[in-house]
Amino acid sequence: MTAAIRPAERNGRALYLTAGITLSILFVLPLLWAILRSFQPATLITQAPQSDDFSKMTTANYSGLIGGSIHILRYVGNSLIVALGTAALTAVVSTLAGYGFGRFRFRGAGLVFALIIVTLMVPFQSVLTPLFMELNTLHLTDSRLGLVLFYTAFNLPFGVFVMRNTFAQIPKELEDSAYVDGSGVMGTLIFVLRPLVLPGVATTVLYAFLFSWTEFLGALTFITKDSLITLPVALLNVETGTYGQVNFGYLVAGAVIAMIPCVVLYVALQRYYVRGLTSGAVKG
Amino acid sequence: MSRRRSVTRRPGVGLALVSPAFLLVAAFVLFPLGFAIFISFTNWPLIGPYHYVGADNYTNIGKDSVFLQSVTFTLIYTAVVTVPIFLVGYGLAVLVRSNRRGATFFRTAFFLPYVVGLATESFMLLLELQPNSGAVNFVLDKLGITDGTTAWLVHTNFAIAAVCVLVVWFASGLTMMLLMAGMQGIPHDVYESAEVDGASWWDREVRIMLPLLRRTIALSLILSVIGSFLAFNQFYILTQGGPGVSTTTVVQWIYQKAFVQLHVGAATALSLVLVVVVGIISAVQFFLLRDTTTETK
Repeated sequence: MTAAIRPAERNGRALYLTAGITLSILFVLPLLWAILRSFQPATLITQAPQSDDFSKMTTANYSGLIGGSIHILRYVGNSLIVALGTAALTAVVSTLAGYGFGRFRFRGAGLVFALIIVTLMVPFQSVLTPLFMELNTLHLTDSRLGLVLFYTAFNLPFGVFVMRNTFAQIPKELEDSAYVDGSGVMGTLIFVLRPLVLPGVATTVLYAFLFSWTEFLGALTFITKDSLITLPVALLNVETGTYGQVNFGYLVAGAVIAMIPCVVLYVALQRYYVRGLTSGAVKG
Repeated sequence: MSRRRSVTRRPGVGLALVSPAFLLVAAFVLFPLGFAIFISFTNWPLIGPYHYVGADNYTNIGKDSVFLQSVTFTLIYTAVVTVPIFLVGYGLAVLVRSNRRGATFFRTAFFLPYVVGLATESFMLLLELQPNSGAVNFVLDKLGITDGTTAWLVHTNFAIAAVCVLVVWFASGLTMMLLMAGMQGIPHDVYESAEVDGASWWDREVRIMLPLLRRTIALSLILSVIGSFLAFNQFYILTQGGPGVSTTTVVQWIYQKAFVQLHVGAATALSLVLVVVVGIISAVQFFLLRDTTTETK
């Protein structure tokens, strides 16, 4: 019996590997290709491809972006400040809320939780105009802090959901003994529960960082001052020629710079990313 | 024991812990939503005085021909991309759902385009769509399909085709992840007993897997539909909504109406239509999610 199905199994395995490898190449190749293109001289990049194109590789696009009039590192810095700020604020606020919802009983808990979670249904695209006027009144347009608050608010429903589930899964006995030993509310969180909720925090941080690093429409709307714009908006300005003639070498090199943190973070922390997806609450 | 109660039931503590989250969501999501209703009944310019115009902004929606065109376009675009995203995502999920050697690597590869984001990828594609030089034209020319001079973004249908391929590549990884998680949640014995009974692979897939996955499939379709309906980045970057307004999406028109033409009141009324549409779709999603969590427990 087993001998009879073995050849079929071997065929199945060969098919699986062939399909998997072929499709993997198909999915990753465009990204690798962009990296290759970013090392082409700007003069060749929009000309008909020649067979010796890739013998003329250069880092000129990167040095031009960094050292030239565009000062790309300024925008990379803005994006980093906003993304790290959002990740940190979302993590702290979600953890506190998850602790509160997962571990404490209080009147109105159900209502407050529902009010936070129901905003998963509100796409930020649909409140762009009132948010602009609100942020403008609060002097939070043309402000990286304003962007951080906006991104955090829209990442919180997911973060709170993940953290509440994370806290709810911890056995009660653990903090019981901590309270008996005289730990306070924050002491128990920091010294007893922290290691147990770190995977949830990692999920929250990863989503918040990737969301704010790649977000385009809000960044375009709420920041107009050139020195404060984030990387995707800076790339739009490269595309439209705001910084002089359109330079496709710069554009693709800038896109590669924008891509790198996403790839590195995802590959390193994908286990936490997948946890977030399968927890059931995914942003629409 | 009594001590734990005294801590976890002290009413102020729980409320204090959740209040920063609630205040942020209230200030930057719930308040704008209420404010939007107010703005939509005014002729608010971006800066300067305003007055009430009653329901004018709503009754004028029917006269906004670009909005109507953008709704039609966005619906067609959504309908066109949803099926391939689902089919490709389903196929990929079948491929990577087992824990065979290589499955983790394949999952990573298929999901990578989603992680990098559409804005960045649109900038990359812009270069490759250039006539006579871009990789898309070069490959199609070598395959003998075109002569390599196609100006993709100048013709409406070509532009839509290019964006659709981009978006299927970008989004099918997400569908794959969701369906894969659903498939892995189906008890093995159900599937195996069918195998023992002599059901073929196709029969098992269609008769057992598909019905059991109903809820996951609905969830992935809803997420995909909402994502497509809110499309902005890929069109704003690649076509700027053109030629003319032929590829202008709903979100892009709202953005333009508010921040280019400065008709904030009218744009906000359009936004609220968006809230209602997405709200209805998400309410279905929410209902499905509640259902799954109570059932698995």
